[in-house]
Amino acid sequence: MTQKTSPFAQIRDKIKAAEPLSFDDGVALFHHPNLLDVASLANEVRERMHGDRTFFNRNFHINATNVCVASCKFCSFARLTEGSPEAQTLTHAEAFAKLQRRVDANEPITEIHIVNGLHPGLPFDYYTKLLSGLKAIKPNVHLKAFTAVEIHYYHQRYGMSVQDVLTQLHAAGLDSLPGGGAEIFAPRVRKKICDDKCSGNEWLAIHRTAHHMGLRSNCTMLYGHIETFEERVDHMLQLRALQDETGGFQTFIPLAFHPDNNALMKLPAATGVEDLRTYAVARLLLHNIAHLKAYWVMLGVKTAQTALWFGADDLDGTVQEEKIYHMAGAETPQTLNPDEIIRLIVNSGRSPVERDTLYNVIAEGEQLISKGPFRRNVSKRSLEVLQ
Amino acid sequence: MSQLDTAPLRSDIRSQNGTVDLFALGRAATVVRSSLHGSTCVFTRSRRLLGSGVWHGPRDAADSFVEQSDVEPNGGLSACAKAGVRTLLASDVRTARTAFDFGLRCLLRLPYQSGEPATERRERLYVVHEALQKALPNGTIIDGVVPTPVGEALGLDTLVFMATCRTQLSVGHVVADFARLGHRLAQMSLAFGASELFGPIVSERALRLGDNANNPAMTRKEVATFIHGASLTPLERVSGGRVEEVAL
Repeated sequence: MTQKTSPFAQIRDKIKAAEPLSFDDGVALFHHPNLLDVASLANEVRERMHGDRTFFNRNFHINATNVCVASCKFCSFARLTEGSPEAQTLTHAEAFAKLQRRVDANEPITEIHIVNGLHPGLPFDYYTKLLSGLKAIKPNVHLKAFTAVEIHYYHQRYGMSVQDVLTQLHAAGLDSLPGGGAEIFAPRVRKKICDDKCSGNEWLAIHRTAHHMGLRSNCTMLYGHIETFEERVDHMLQLRALQDETGGFQTFIPLAFHPDNNALMKLPAATGVEDLRTYAVARLLLHNIAHLKAYWVMLGVKTAQTALWFGADDLDGTVQEEKIYHMAGAETPQTLNPDEIIRLIVNSGRSPVERDTLYNVIAEGEQLISKGPFRRNVSKRSLEVLQ
Repeated sequence: MSQLDTAPLRSDIRSQNGTVDLFALGRAATVVRSSLHGSTCVFTRSRRLLGSGVWHGPRDAADSFVEQSDVEPNGGLSACAKAGVRTLLASDVRTARTAFDFGLRCLLRLPYQSGEPATERRERLYVVHEALQKALPNGTIIDGVVPTPVGEALGLDTLVFMATCRTQLSVGHVVADFARLGHRLAQMSLAFGASELFGPIVSERALRLGDNANNPAMTRKEVATFIHGASLTPLERVSGGRVEEVAL
């Protein structure tokens, strides 16, 4: 009589054999009662791919406008119409000044992350001039700009094909696409939370086009709202299928829904265990996407650090002036300096690697670690426990 | 459970030979936690006696506590007990022993600092371990230890310390203080040996924006959901020391 193997044991065998997991496997991992079982498997894959290496970069964010025709229920950033309280559209001069300040201060920024609302009143050349102006100030900075949702909007708003939009933006200085706007691909969920933005298929098609043009991109998933585990797995498998086809995704970034200050504020926030399990399952399902990013702005610094043992290998960047999550109630700082990021990585038992956007190594290991101890001075007495 | 001198008490989570022990440590802590409490986690709605003599928290709370630093301003342990305090959050074993004599439940805060040398942490835990062994042979005087970060709490360091406390100290509960640790990290601690959540529990969910952004208070339902989300059964300690399962 043969002994029946448990679903988790079958998954473990597949992972050992480097076989892709199925839809059912993904759902089973979300339901598996022991988080540490799932985590140790994800960590095994993470270490097989990257060892202890843990990546970060030096970047800053520009949100050129938060005026937006979409009204996504999870969004706390968009201020819908020009003139609304807190609505803001940067002039080119204001946007360029943000970079110029950093250039003048000799900050070794390698990337600018640009994400905006869907502004109905701006001409297309607002965006091309924004990119070319930034490149003129710092030619070697990498411009990771415009989510697929924005690209789709430009295609509709300006009557251009997606290919033309991307070609003109690329000519103006666009280097890669961020992964935002994917949310959850399931039509049921999109209809409820973001009915007036591009569909999941359209999001995927835009990344496919970008990849065929030689542009790399990232991909995301917004979790912890009204979606089911099955819809999370379906989302990740659609990303995996496109990656099999193009190989253009660099990093997957699970994004936890933040419930404050938006229309879904009655929902509970994603919990720490849910965050860690989602990261671990993502690492196991997305064997063909090299990197898994723990976006500390959204996760919080403590959870992001912990995620480095639950599948993640990247902490994102120094990130300055993040607005989207902070307007949704994120309590994290808006910037971490490189020493703090390195300290987090080293404290977690990992080895820091400073990268550029395309994961070329700028410095790593001992080159990055300062000689001083990674601890703050506190009174020794405050640590004593008397008998 | 008394192998402190050889236990892997490290501020990082790799041993010198590179063996990963985070998950083994977590599993070991879970085994100890499960042997004591099954798959349950307990919480209590409490009110606090402040140093000013003012009570803070819901009037109908099932428990009432005082931090050791607030004991003297309130006239000592006897006065606190007479005022209605039922639990002491002690910062030393000697005071905990005295409080026990007054009929108080005692939780002992165990300070730790991210990045501190492993030897210092080991020595500090050894002190507690020895105290529990010598003065408290049956382990009933201190009902739980509350790992308490001094300065910032880093994620992995906290989880390792939680699990180490659970595997090395003979106490009823390792308590996750969600006001000090943050909600996410406190919940993760439940997978690393913690069996009790401690912190302000309120009747209405706080909107965590603006000046209120760092409000740590949670509702009873939020706490129960947190515990359930960690694959444990939430139990609420109600009056008379009884516990009741909380339905979601």
